[in-house]
Formats: sequence, structure tokens, C-alpha cells
Amino acid sequence: MHWLTDPFQAEFMRRAFLATLIIGIVAPVVGTWIVLRRMANLGDAMSHGTLAGVGIAYAAGANVLFGAMAAGLVMAALLLVFSSNRRLGQETVIAVLGTAFFAIGVVVISRLDTGVELTHFLFGRLLTVEWSDIWLNLALGGGAVLVVLLLFGELRLATFDHVQAEQVGVRVELVQAVLVVLLAVVVVVSLRSVGTIMSVTMLVTPAATARLVARTLRQMTVLGIVFGISEGFVGLILSYHLSSAPGATIGLVSATVFAVAFAATLPRRMPHHHRPLD
Amino acid sequence: MTPVLQVDHLGVRYGATHALYDVSFSIGSGELIAVIGPNGAGKSTMFKAICGLVNHEGVVEVNGVHCHDHADRMDLAYIPQRNDSDLHFPITVGELVLAGRRRFRRWYARPTALDRKVASDALERVMLAGTEDRSLTELSGGQLQRAYVARALAQQASVVLLDEALSGVDQPTTAELLDVFESLAADGTTMLVATHDLALARRRFRRCIAVNGTVRGDGAPAEVLSAEVLDATFGTAGHRALAD
Repeated sequence: MHWLTDPFQAEFMRRAFLATLIIGIVAPVVGTWIVLRRMANLGDAMSHGTLAGVGIAYAAGANVLFGAMAAGLVMAALLLVFSSNRRLGQETVIAVLGTAFFAIGVVVISRLDTGVELTHFLFGRLLTVEWSDIWLNLALGGGAVLVVLLLFGELRLATFDHVQAEQVGVRVELVQAVLVVLLAVVVVVSLRSVGTIMSVTMLVTPAATARLVARTLRQMTVLGIVFGISEGFVGLILSYHLSSAPGATIGLVSATVFAVAFAATLPRRMPHHHRPLD
Repeated sequence: MTPVLQVDHLGVRYGATHALYDVSFSIGSGELIAVIGPNGAGKSTMFKAICGLVNHEGVVEVNGVHCHDHADRMDLAYIPQRNDSDLHFPITVGELVLAGRRRFRRWYARPTALDRKVASDALERVMLAGTEDRSLTELSGGQLQRAYVARALAQQASVVLLDEALSGVDQPTTAELLDVFESLAADGTTMLVATHDLALARRRFRRCIAVNGTVRGDGAPAEVLSAEVLDATFGTAGHRALAD
């Protein structure tokens, strides 16, 4: 079992594991709702778009996590403004904003003369995570999980049937706005460790895998966490032994588990399983 | 006596187009009403306007209360067309029905024992006792409609608006659903059922409202399903549908 325990002799690996653990819990908890509301595209665009905030904050000498958070919130606000134009679908607006913010980030970072590389932000540097990052992620991630737990019932009603939800008193638009903020929080929590590009993997893939096998929302959330943590752990160990990029290795493990779950549940999703006759 | 639902000069406009105009009627407690009209006649729009789900002109009063926003309309339950629902959503029948109880608690509160009891009674009322833990995909079309009706009962709605509840279900299931609707109406719940089935409207309902842009007829089936009203509502197609 040395291959399992050896990597954790080094403190940087223990810190990396803690960072992965936090993302493994927070991302699927929020990701469950992103998957159910079919907002994965927004997650993808936001994960790319936060690079603008990262680049600007880095250039200004400010904390990049706050920069990323600010960029996520500005993107969400602009999305609301542009989506009111009926000639454009929301998917179009998401694509335009995501790529525009991403381009700002790339331009700003590529002009920096500090030795920092774009790939550090795109794919993270899991092995250089510091304790201050872990505490900040714990605070942000803990807050996000708490908000989801408090709003669990409201999220369920607003997501399943927003018409009925409004009728019985749920503030559907507020719930949607809170979810977009939580999405930005997950991207920020993922930034240092797996990077902006891989953050959407952590957000969507474990929750999507759980969606394939779970019957209830609670099952989906719990299974998403189980997948998130175990895929992070396995990916980290593999990256150590294979000397591969940790974020991308975790992403590959997640995608593999998703593919296996998809194949295993295929017979259950065949049409004759859906609707019994009266 | 105060009507349960009073609609005065209701109108809905999409840009310059009037989807609905000058709709007025009054409905008492425990009425079972068929709302008939061709596709695109404005039946769904009328239901949505009554429930405050689309911007509208005119006045809607529920139990004598002038409705300004959703808070005034919690006595209404709207059951949309079946294909509007995501049946694969991970929600059980019990959780679906409990959703109706949300109006009685704050956003952060969990369902109480009373909520669970009311939801369980509602399921029993629509003959779905024991299905609490089933997912929606495990229900047949008729069972699904009854589960939505149970949610409306748990909501303790005075008026239930069912949009095309009888479309796509076979005859025995239609009869079974109508038995449930009649039984609920007999207990005082007012039910409006949008349907294309004119023969059914004549056979099983005591009042019909014919809609095409506005109210073309309102009264007993014999009056509303007359050649004159059907012409105004459906054109010649109405005669053919009734003859079939």
C-alpha cells in the first residue's frame, strides 16, 4: 500500500489533498443544481470568464480570488442585462460574454512581465496550494454548502416547476440569482488548485454521474459528493505516480467514471422502463 | 354569495396581437367546468393570466380578493400540460405533493408532520396511497395527472385549473380522472378543465366555457355546444368534432 500512502509523506501533497477534498464536496453540491437546471454552459462560460478578473487582479497586485469573484459577478449582471434582448437567446449571450471575458484575461496576463504563465491559471497549480488558500476555500466553500442546504427546498421547487413554485410563494428569480453567485464561488474555490478550465469538470461531471444513478435529490447530492471526493483522491494519487498535471488527471478520472456509469445504467434508461401501462 | 373566481374584462396582449380580450365570467364553489376551444384559442393563456403568470389587463378576484400578485393567488392551482413537466427530475410523488404545502410555511422551514399528513390524505383522495416513494417516471399518464391534482389538494386551492389534463390518455383513464374531478367538485373544489373533447364536455360536464380569443359561449353544454357557438369558436371543424 506504499503507493497509496507514500505521496502523502510530503506536506505539499497533504495540502493538495485537502484542497481537492474541499472542491470534491462543494462543487457537486452546487453542481447538482447546475446539472438539473441545464446550466452547464453557463458554468463553462463563467469558469473561462473569471480569467479576466484573475488577470486584472494579478496586474494590480490584488488577490486573484477576489478578482475572479468580481469577474463572475460582473458577468452574471451583464448576462441579466443582455438576456433581456429577445432577439438573442441566452445561450448566445453566455457564449459572447464567456469568450469576451476570457479574451480580456488572456490579453492582460500575456502582457504581464512577472514570469507568471497563463497555464497556471487555466489548469491550476494544485501542488503549490498554500494554507491560506485552503482556509479561504474552506470559508467560501462552507458558506456555499450552507446556502444550498438552507435553500434546498426552494431550489427543488424552483427547478422542477417554476410556475407552481411562484404560485406557492417561492421567489424564483432570487433563487436563480443566488445559484449564479454560488457558481462563481465554486469557480473561485477551484481556481488555485484545478484552474479555471478544469473547474467546470469538478462542477458538472461528478453531479452528472450521480444524476445517472440517483433516484432522489438527496441521493444525487450525496453521491455527487462521494464521486467528487473519490475522483479527486484517485486523480491526485495517479498524477503523483504518473507525473501528470493533477487537475487534468482528476478531470480524466471523473470523465472515466461518468463513462462507466453511463454504460452501466444504459439498460435502465431504455424506453420500455419508463412508463408502465395503466 | 361571493363567487370563488370572478374574472372581468381579462385581456392578454403579445406586442400588438391580442391573444385574449374582454374575457369575463363568474364561477361558484364546487363547479366542474369544461373550457373548450381550438388550438391557439387562448385557453392556456387564459389560465396563465388568471394565475398571474403572464401580464394581463382586467380584474381577477379569488374568494372576493382582488389579485395583485402571486400572494393573492395562492388559492389557485395551475396544472400545466403534461409535456411541460420534466418527468425525469429526481423527485418522488410524495415530494411532489408536499410542494403544495409550501404556501403554509416560510422559505427556510421544513415540512411539518401536519404537512405530511395532508399530503398523504391528498394522495389517498386521488387513489394514489402508497405511491409516495415512487419517481414520476414510474407513474402512468393518468396517475401522473392525479398526483398533480393531489398537489393542488395539498395546497388547499379553492380553484384548480387543469390544462389539457385529458389529452393523450385512453378512455378508461379519462373516465377515472373525471370520477376524481367530480368527487372533488362535490366536496367544494372548483375545477376548470381545458379540453378539445367536445363529446366528453357534453357528457360529463354541467357547464362549458367556449373560448376563442374571448368567451364565445358560457352555460350548460346544450347551450354552448350549439351550432351557433361552435361556429363562432371552431368554425365548421366544431360540428365535425362533435359529430365524431
